[in-house]
Amino acid sequence: MSVAFQSANWFVPLVQTVHIIAIGILLTAVYVLSFRLVGLTQRGQTLAALAVRSTPWVWAALCVLLLTGVLLTITEPARELLNWAFRVKMLLVAALAIILMLLQLSLRRDPQYWSSSPARRRSARALGILCIVAGASIVTAGRWIAYV
Amino acid sequence: MAVESTLSWLQDLRLPTEIRESLWMFPTIETVHVFALVLVVGSIMTVDLRLLGFTNRDRPFSELAAEMLPWTWLAFSFAAIAGLLMFSSKALIYYGNIPFRLKMCCLLFAGINMLLFHWVGVRHLHIWDKARPPWSAKLAGGASLVLWTAIVAAGRWIGFTT
Repeated sequence: MSVAFQSANWFVPLVQTVHIIAIGILLTAVYVLSFRLVGLTQRGQTLAALAVRSTPWVWAALCVLLLTGVLLTITEPARELLNWAFRVKMLLVAALAIILMLLQLSLRRDPQYWSSSPARRRSARALGILCIVAGASIVTAGRWIAYV
Repeated sequence: MAVESTLSWLQDLRLPTEIRESLWMFPTIETVHVFALVLVVGSIMTVDLRLLGFTNRDRPFSELAAEMLPWTWLAFSFAAIAGLLMFSSKALIYYGNIPFRLKMCCLLFAGINMLLFHWVGVRHLHIWDKARPPWSAKLAGGASLVLWTAIVAAGRWIGFTT
């Protein structure tokens, strides 16, 4: 399979294109939510409404990313699996997915969860900053797989 | 030719030369470019999907656009500056590269599409702001989706042909 994917020279750029667009959708959803958590944006809808609206897009994008990521890894296993930037990226993706799931579950149970006390507002801000940093780091680590 | 001599002058300037000769500068600028462009594409596609009537249907288009597009422009300016820096480091090679030219054409068309939408497409916005957009707005949204997908594809293709 690896050989077949490598021999078609359109395969890698095509899969990477789908991968990049899915990152665009995921990161936009994550940043809209994070900016709201941090308090950079206040307009329009509530945090809970935002989270509910973006949930299917977040997980659909993550599924596409996993699928295209697996295809790219099958094509060049050594380039990815032995690469420390790849490993850092995978850890960051797992961390981001866990934070997103926690945010979505907490807001589904209680739409006011992250605004109900000063301590929770502080945690919400911290989670927002964490998501922003994780998103940027994932893209950075992803691009540097090609260079380290 | 005038274009070639201008480009060779450009890539022999100090900063482009440094970018070309450094091991870390190009990948770093490229990382900024990729980070900015995923946000450009993601935020534009959010607006396009609303124009097509697929998402955010319960929210006024003007509200969504006012919320997303300032960030789109901020990200676009980062992507453009990083892109210009990358271009300047190997200007002659990129100039002769077919995927690069395709990408620039698609960017131009995306810009024209956006201008047309802002001049003509939003004329009756008050009527459809909270409802399903008319066919002209759908066309603009669809064209934008296709063009930005092509821009990403051509951009990725540059990396495999230079």
